[in-house]
Amino acid sequence: MKPTPVLETLNLTKVFPGVVALDDVSLSLFPGEVLGLVGENGAGKSTLMKLIGGVYPPTRGRIRYKGEEVQFRSPKDALDAGISIVYQELNLIPHLSVAENIFINRLPRRGTFVNWARLYRDTERILEESGMSGIDPRAIVGELPIGVKQSVEIAKALSYDAQVLLLDEPTSSLTGPEIDNLFSVIRKLQERGIGIVYVSHHLDEIFEVTDRVHVLRDGKTVEVMDTASASEETLVARMVGRDLEDIYYKGEHQPGEVALEARGIGDELLDDVSFKVRRREVVGIYGLLGSGRTELLKSIVGARPRRKGEVFVHGKKVRFGHPQEAARAGVIYSSEDRKGENLFFGQPIWKNETYLALQIGRYTRFGFTQTAEERRDAEVYSRKLGVKAPSIDVDVYHLSGGNQQKVCLAKALINDPDVVLLDEPTRGIDVGAKLEIYKLIAELADQGKAVVFVSSELPEIIGCADRVYTMAGGRITAELTGDDINEENVLRYCLQTTTPGVAAS
Amino acid sequence: MKLNKSLLSSSEFIVFLGLVAVGAFFAFTSPVFLTKFNLLNILLQSSIQGIIAIGMTFVILTAGIDLSVGSVVALSGVLMALMLHGGVPVWAVILINLAFGVAVGVFHGFSITKIGMAPFIVTLATMAMARGLTMVFSDGKTIFDFPPAFEFFGAGQIGPISVAVIIFLLYALLAEVVLRSTVLGRNIYAVGSNIKAAALSGIRTHWVLYFVYVVSGVSCAIAGLVLTGRLGAAMPTAAMGYELDAIAAVIIGGASLMGGKGTIVGTIIGVLLIGVINNGMNLLNVPPFWQSFLKGAVIFLAVMIDSLKNRPSEV
Repeated sequence: MKPTPVLETLNLTKVFPGVVALDDVSLSLFPGEVLGLVGENGAGKSTLMKLIGGVYPPTRGRIRYKGEEVQFRSPKDALDAGISIVYQELNLIPHLSVAENIFINRLPRRGTFVNWARLYRDTERILEESGMSGIDPRAIVGELPIGVKQSVEIAKALSYDAQVLLLDEPTSSLTGPEIDNLFSVIRKLQERGIGIVYVSHHLDEIFEVTDRVHVLRDGKTVEVMDTASASEETLVARMVGRDLEDIYYKGEHQPGEVALEARGIGDELLDDVSFKVRRREVVGIYGLLGSGRTELLKSIVGARPRRKGEVFVHGKKVRFGHPQEAARAGVIYSSEDRKGENLFFGQPIWKNETYLALQIGRYTRFGFTQTAEERRDAEVYSRKLGVKAPSIDVDVYHLSGGNQQKVCLAKALINDPDVVLLDEPTRGIDVGAKLEIYKLIAELADQGKAVVFVSSELPEIIGCADRVYTMAGGRITAELTGDDINEENVLRYCLQTTTPGVAAS
Repeated sequence: MKLNKSLLSSSEFIVFLGLVAVGAFFAFTSPVFLTKFNLLNILLQSSIQGIIAIGMTFVILTAGIDLSVGSVVALSGVLMALMLHGGVPVWAVILINLAFGVAVGVFHGFSITKIGMAPFIVTLATMAMARGLTMVFSDGKTIFDFPPAFEFFGAGQIGPISVAVIIFLLYALLAEVVLRSTVLGRNIYAVGSNIKAAALSGIRTHWVLYFVYVVSGVSCAIAGLVLTGRLGAAMPTAAMGYELDAIAAVIIGGASLMGGKGTIVGTIIGVLLIGVINNGMNLLNVPPFWQSFLKGAVIFLAVMIDSLKNRPSEV
């Protein structure tokens, strides 16, 4: 006879304005079970986690916990009931001790003062129960290795008497031995009858630690299977596999001569990376966060110091010490971080679009800006790229993400560069704007430009790129062309060596 | 119409209204205030503060700060006095003084960009060091007796207008042109607005930072020249606390300590506002202790109005 699930969701649905993020998902988790939750970015994993954790209420559907229907109004409700989430980013305060972090908002007291003896005793008990007795409750968290911090975060989650633990990409910053350690902690918790939902991109981990796998795609449940009966191929096939033909398109271009080539780029994060991009070609670089893709592009344009390797532009060896030199040579990098690294909030669209051009002498005469010309071109490019705003005098701060991205692209293209390095140009923007950007990328290649398109979304890389490099752990793991560019391949090569620590060898 | 609307809601315009209001108040309460002599006097008194505040505007636009300005003005004065007494010709003294201002700025720029020190700390240290050197070189004594050609820059007149005022206005005009119409000026705003984006946009952010601190250093050297000439003396305790008045003027003028926002016009209005308040309170015989309090209150009010207008909605 099957035991009762500790946690069940029944036909859970979440609708955000314009998007169905989660569609009729029923999931069950049994005590002492590790359930893998997998799916591409945007498949609905984090929405599901947040609904269970009480971050926001479901649009439809119910959640049953220990056999009873529950409605959590806040994360605290869920926490008090015994459902804890450990997020990808750690939420610890570095200069406090392990014990203080675990009991941060409910330090035991004696009168007005903290009861330190009890605090440390309770912490020791929690650490021991979770199989982490090696951790000193008095240690300052900031001085601990990242793997131990992760354990502390889990101990903190468990300190609420958790019956259900949700782990969101728990290994994203861990090294090999630290991952092994995490797995042994997970197994200890399993023995105690705690139900664990394990979210990960890394299929090898899913196979090692989970009992069952729940696959999501486009907000829907695709399949739930026993891990023992699944293979990597079937899992990947379930995660992807949809018709992409209509959305993405590759232009009419035929790649020409090599425009940019990098050979043996290396430093503490990149390991002997070589790649090239031709004129009239869209090269996709696919890799997860931390795979080194951003660092690679920044190294090429001189935005971060390069220790090893050579870069050639149109066959000529170059060494860009600053993005300005790269821009002069017709190589432009557009950062993924619109707010943090690309745009100047508080300044109008037209000024944002011409900054790069100004640096290489466009729109200037004897150091003076030629505002009329700047505004004219900004107007032209804003219209070309479909920036929706009442005028080019609007502060970019007020634009939507998609329109901000178009301003970023205008800023890069207003210089008419030969090589454009676009770092996640579709991150966090709506579908309509994404489609326009896919179209633009194809047009750029049609016009003869060399385009490098970095993305962490599989379908768009496959749909837009003529050639694909997969990156993981600071190195290129595969180069795919033609029919080899498919979801199974790309995913396999980028998961293959994602086990951190490999890059160091 | 559109232009008028943006003009009317600008920080500068609001502070300008404040200036007019305060001016009107003193005009009604003191018969002397609106006389030509007194108004020229306000301009003269504001010119030294103004020159320093212009340099400070450049620095604050990059989200930096320069606390050393008062001390550097004093040190510049004492250095020039010693050189003059040592027989160095006036033109050479002035050139060396300007070079001294450049050197101070380069030192700041180097410490901030190459060593990575915080501007507040670097310039706090220079503030103390420069004041200390001023005392050492002058032996704590005031130095008098300079050639008329030297004092001309502080005490001279061209027609009814003081040379000091002319220097101030020309310097302000130059600064305004640089900030408004050159690539360098645009880059200064960019660095203050988002230094990472600036670097990725091809802006040599280190050069920009060097430049603004050099402008501040040179502004102090010019202010030192004007101040020493006007007083006819180099005093080791000169320009005490000027850094705070300069920062106040820049902020009153609508600049943000977070960088990327501010104008020379705003700074000048800020300087004049402080100058008018100082002058008016003297005319009304407000006791000095209350003067300090009232000046502080006006600074608070001015910045409060601007902050309320730009209050962030959330996050």
